[in-house]
Amino acid sequence: MDIVIVGSGKVGFSLAEQLVKEEHNVTVVDSDEEALRRAGDQLDIMTVRGNGVSAAVLREAGVDKAQLLVAATNADEVNMVCCLTAKDLGAKYTIARIRNPEYTTSVGELRRNLKIDMAINPENSTAVEISRLLRFPSAANIETFCRGKVELMGFRLQEGDFLIDTPLYALPDKVKKLSLLFCAVDRGGEVSIPNGSFVPKAGDKLYMVGRPDSLDQFFRQLGRYAPKVRQVFMVGGGKVSMYLAKILDRMGIRLKIIEQNEERCRLISEQFPRVTVICGDGTDSELLESENLTASDAFVALTDRDEDNLIISLYAMQQGIKKVITKCNRQNYAGIVRSLGLDSVISPKFVTASNIVHVVRGMQNSQGSVMNSLHRIAGGGAEAMEFTVGSATRHLGVPLKDLKLRPGVLLAVIVRKNDIIIPQGSSFLQGGDRVIIIARGGGVLDLNDIYAPEFTGGGAAK
Amino acid sequence: MNIKLVLKLVGRVLLLEAAALAVPLAVALIYREDPLPFLLAIAIVAAVGLALSALPAKSQFFTREGFVAVGLIWIFTGLVGALPFMFCGYFATPMDAIFESCSGFTTTGSTILPEIESLPRGILFWRAFTHWLGGMGVLVLATAILPRLGIRSHYLTQAETPGPVFSKLVPKQSQTSKILYTMYFALTALEALCLKIAGMPLYDALIHSFSTAGTGGFSNRNASVGAYDSVAIDVIITVFMLLFSINFAVYFLILTKKWREALASDELRFFLSVVAGATVVLTLFNLGVYSSVGESLRYASFQVAAIISTTGFGTADFVLWPQFSQMIIVLLMFCGASAGSTGGGMKCSRVLLLLRGLRREIHRITHPRCVEVVKLDGKLVSEATLHTLLVFLGAYVTTVFAAALIISLDGCSFAVSFSAALTCVSNVGPGLEAIGPSGNFAAFSTLSKGVMSLCMIVGRLEIFPILVLFTPSTWRQL
Repeated sequence: MDIVIVGSGKVGFSLAEQLVKEEHNVTVVDSDEEALRRAGDQLDIMTVRGNGVSAAVLREAGVDKAQLLVAATNADEVNMVCCLTAKDLGAKYTIARIRNPEYTTSVGELRRNLKIDMAINPENSTAVEISRLLRFPSAANIETFCRGKVELMGFRLQEGDFLIDTPLYALPDKVKKLSLLFCAVDRGGEVSIPNGSFVPKAGDKLYMVGRPDSLDQFFRQLGRYAPKVRQVFMVGGGKVSMYLAKILDRMGIRLKIIEQNEERCRLISEQFPRVTVICGDGTDSELLESENLTASDAFVALTDRDEDNLIISLYAMQQGIKKVITKCNRQNYAGIVRSLGLDSVISPKFVTASNIVHVVRGMQNSQGSVMNSLHRIAGGGAEAMEFTVGSATRHLGVPLKDLKLRPGVLLAVIVRKNDIIIPQGSSFLQGGDRVIIIARGGGVLDLNDIYAPEFTGGGAAK
Repeated sequence: MNIKLVLKLVGRVLLLEAAALAVPLAVALIYREDPLPFLLAIAIVAAVGLALSALPAKSQFFTREGFVAVGLIWIFTGLVGALPFMFCGYFATPMDAIFESCSGFTTTGSTILPEIESLPRGILFWRAFTHWLGGMGVLVLATAILPRLGIRSHYLTQAETPGPVFSKLVPKQSQTSKILYTMYFALTALEALCLKIAGMPLYDALIHSFSTAGTGGFSNRNASVGAYDSVAIDVIITVFMLLFSINFAVYFLILTKKWREALASDELRFFLSVVAGATVVLTLFNLGVYSSVGESLRYASFQVAAIISTTGFGTADFVLWPQFSQMIIVLLMFCGASAGSTGGGMKCSRVLLLLRGLRREIHRITHPRCVEVVKLDGKLVSEATLHTLLVFLGAYVTTVFAAALIISLDGCSFAVSFSAALTCVSNVGPGLEAIGPSGNFAAFSTLSKGVMSLCMIVGRLEIFPILVLFTPSTWRQL
């Protein structure tokens, strides 16, 4: 697909990076030559220097023939005008980053009037993502499929868990009869798809997919079931915090926010009267202690500085908080952060970029099957996708044991009407099924991509 | 330095070159000539290529690896091209074969052969074919054909595509390379067709088309294009030499119906004005040599196109022209063709930017506090680009003089040693006096030939990749 991205900032670059990996033709427009040079050096893209609002610049970037334009400069107004101009020039679909909360309230009218097909707000998306993690505190990550019928969760194995040193095929029956499947494992950054003989070790991050109640049951058996979060401690009162406060407040969760800037504190207090706002330095352990950090169920670090967030998260973890969520924009050091034990690390730019990639994949004309959603798991090492089986999907009705899948691809769950099937050798696909596929390293764009390239056999339905 | 990955890349390009050697092999078989030189060459190149491309390597690939890969690939390519020449027995020493091959791939077109018409047709075909491959670039071809050459393949093509700024036609490098080669192929085929219609035998038409397309200058006739003594052929080749010295991005703009942008190119206008100006001046000054204005115009226009495009075909021996005319020829050698074309030299856009920068500096002397920017095609040219340009000019001139210094050890005149160095670095072909259009490079010592071969590669890659290769800090771990 031909995609033009205006703005080579954090989101723009991250988005370009992910789209290039998926073989799209990406052109990046920015007025800063240095930022463009960096992007052009690292990615296989075309760069155009100039203001994204100018029709001439957009035309040079080929907007007239582009299927998608993403305006992700740091100015909302520029993004809006850019989308408007691009639409006039012939862009099929436009996405604007609109982050100012004052615009967000009227985003509906703005979108209609400016012909913006989608408005994306990085801070809001991040807040939504964090609120999802708080809703399911047992897991480090959680993704939902098929309108919540299936969930995917990741959790880290600790010393003493009953799974450790037992091959998966030898797990006790109480686990086996649950409707879930271990679909990926991250061992020290090495992501693999476990089979029956896989032996879990302490420190592994295991991902499992299945029915929500089965997953809950499993956590109960593991003795890791955390009750619902009722009290959240938050450091930093920026935009993400405001959006998050709004969601959590509505959920009836008690909130305590520490923010250094008094002005900001007043603003938060004005908007959320039920929230306790403390004006002070959130990186000061004494303040955290005096505000009774240990009494909270969850801790969220949302200051502007990645380093501060990491340090105070480590501190909160050490203080025994069950659920610690860290905002960290830099992705390069994700491995180190994970090795420190911080599981729930959220990067706003990554969340935003993933959301857009998600839309792009939806727009893509998949031949045999429709991809409904895509989630990156295990630090981007694997992807979990939901497809609807279509008539062009090959090998319908053939039992799985007669099929050969591509290495690194797992058919994890089949959802047939309301049944959730964990596939066995005798299971098969039929039209209208929804399936969840786990692929190591990605690269599955169509359901037919899951079959091994050399595999053509199998024949007609039996 | 991830040398293993670099060598792996070299290996894969060598495999591609082994495949390219099959083309002259087919020609040799058609004309029932001895195929052994090509078979041997293919065997050796394929063996080395397979061995290198089987190396296990990590995927780290940065600017440094890119530059080293380009430099090494071109040096290897020069050696690969020399293999058939070595095995065919018409070249006195291996150095002669290497010189000829480097001259071919870098599209220089200088030769050490005093007599070429007696050579087998397969060998002559390979000579011209190296021009065609080297013209658009071996690496551009590699990125077009080989799938997933590496994530940062634009590092490779960037170094091979001439000009101060590198820009893609479409977002993907592999796609850009494919478009470039398609246009290149189409133009070459068109020229071959025109030449055939104008009365050239098919074989000669192909040879001269390859040679023109790469802006090289190898012919299969001793008297070069002059041997046909046909106005039609002269005109066709003149036009195509000029066409191949224009930035291919212009053709892409025309193909995508962006006429205004295509014709608004400052470089294109500058190039055409230089060609027109030089043709008029040479026509007038050469009136004493030729009998009529028409004749003078015919030879002047052909030589101007041949030199500024850095092709170096000959229809007239410009060594016999007045000194002033010869000086114009030397200046054209310096200037060279357009960026993004298959030609060599400094490139018109650089010369144009240097002139504009010069004007600004003079302006600054009279108005010390004035702020002025340099523009190209209506767009701001960054100070960093201008700075690189000056460094490039310095490196270019230094290379020419350093090479001339070594060549002068042979005891030749200043005009010969200087023009030999300049013609090699600018990838033109002929020089002045003894190495003029009717002369050759056979008389030079092995050392001079080696230096010139290297100079040709230095010039083709626009200096820096080879300099990087010979800089110790490139090879240090930290």
